[in-house]
Amino acid sequence: MQFFFHNKSNRVWLVLIIGLMLFNIWNIVVNTPMVPDQHWAQKIFYVHVPSAWVGFLSYFIVMVAGIMYFIKGDEHWDKVGLAAAEIGTLFISLVLITGPIWATPIWGQPWIWEPRLTTTLILFLIYIGYFMMRAFGGHAERVKRYAASLGIIAFVDVPIIFVSVKFWAPEIQSHPQVEMTSQPPGILIPFLLSLGIFTVLYRLMLKYRIHVIQVNYKRVADV
Amino acid sequence: MFLTLLKKELFVEFRTREITISMIVFGLAIILTFAFSSNVSPVIIVNFAPGMFWIMVLFVTVIGVHRSFAYEKEFDAFSMLISAPIDRGLIFLSKWISGFIFLTIMEILLFIPFYKFLMIDFPIQPWLALGTTILINLAIMVVASLVSGIAMRARLSEVLLPILLFPLVSPVIISATKISGSIMRGEPYALWDIWLLIILTVIVVFGLVGYTLFDFITEE
Repeated sequence: MQFFFHNKSNRVWLVLIIGLMLFNIWNIVVNTPMVPDQHWAQKIFYVHVPSAWVGFLSYFIVMVAGIMYFIKGDEHWDKVGLAAAEIGTLFISLVLITGPIWATPIWGQPWIWEPRLTTTLILFLIYIGYFMMRAFGGHAERVKRYAASLGIIAFVDVPIIFVSVKFWAPEIQSHPQVEMTSQPPGILIPFLLSLGIFTVLYRLMLKYRIHVIQVNYKRVADV
Repeated sequence: MFLTLLKKELFVEFRTREITISMIVFGLAIILTFAFSSNVSPVIIVNFAPGMFWIMVLFVTVIGVHRSFAYEKEFDAFSMLISAPIDRGLIFLSKWISGFIFLTIMEILLFIPFYKFLMIDFPIQPWLALGTTILINLAIMVVASLVSGIAMRARLSEVLLPILLFPLVSPVIISATKISGSIMRGEPYALWDIWLLIILTVIVVFGLVGYTLFDFITEE
């Protein structure tokens, strides 16, 4: 099987994304305005929110891949689901790391049961179970079906978890980025740019991971 | 066909009483542990009682659903069950409703020891408490039956079941604790209607998802 970066188009995308990410970091550090009461801490939101977007997008793709796996019965969708679950969990971990980094100076403590952060934590735990199922589930064909079902159930549960956590602690609604569209252009444009760059990065990561899983499957099948 | 499957579940259980006895004994052990580990005034403990009650129910549910699916493994009974020409969604429904019946029996029997051992007063509106408890049991069991259907035939099923179930069922536990707390304090319905809506949403959404997915989950 061909090495992923032997493909010219993939190499071009890799170089382009490295350039875009470097530009993004420079843009966030140098060009975005300082928010008066938050200073440097606010800048983490240019990474935190895009990570959350990519994480949830990825989990949405796990659900779609699960549905497609059941409808089409095609192995490819299982690989897409696994790849998306892995990358989604990576980005959701970044959300759970960057959230407390921002919260420590702003809220005075690393963790508050803020609805979105709590929903993210619960979803992260569900996906830890998902990977345990993949690793310790036993029979390979059955595990693929179980994983597809879990991907669907986990995403269906997200809005219910969010609403329940939101009403569970109604006094905690101090997340600062609720009205992102009402932010001044100096913040909004770099934010949207970062969101776009993270999405492009995600696309390449997903493609790469699917390729790696295919290679691993083929190696196992050859043995 | 659903009634036949439900009858089979109930018949097996009433003959062996494995699930209900395990659930009740385990529930009693949890109540005693709570009583020993929270030796404080009833005034203080009443604030934590709803949460303690639903934690106990959650633990006991794990025992119940695991046992309910585990006995199907013996002599590979489940393979024979799913090879029968029936809608597999009905198998899910029968597991859900039978689990709900066992859980409700267990709660009725553990209700008095829970309140007496922890020395707290009964809810002011017992019928309201019973009605909401029935809905909460349906919600817990629909999620538990679906997750158990997934985890049952996996290796390490006894470990995977609680790991998968607890985060997925968290909205139900939050809602159940809030509803029971509100009823114990005699708060008006308008203050806790949202929690009942969440419970009903879980029943409808997971009921439909479970019914649809069970066919694919149990495919050979």
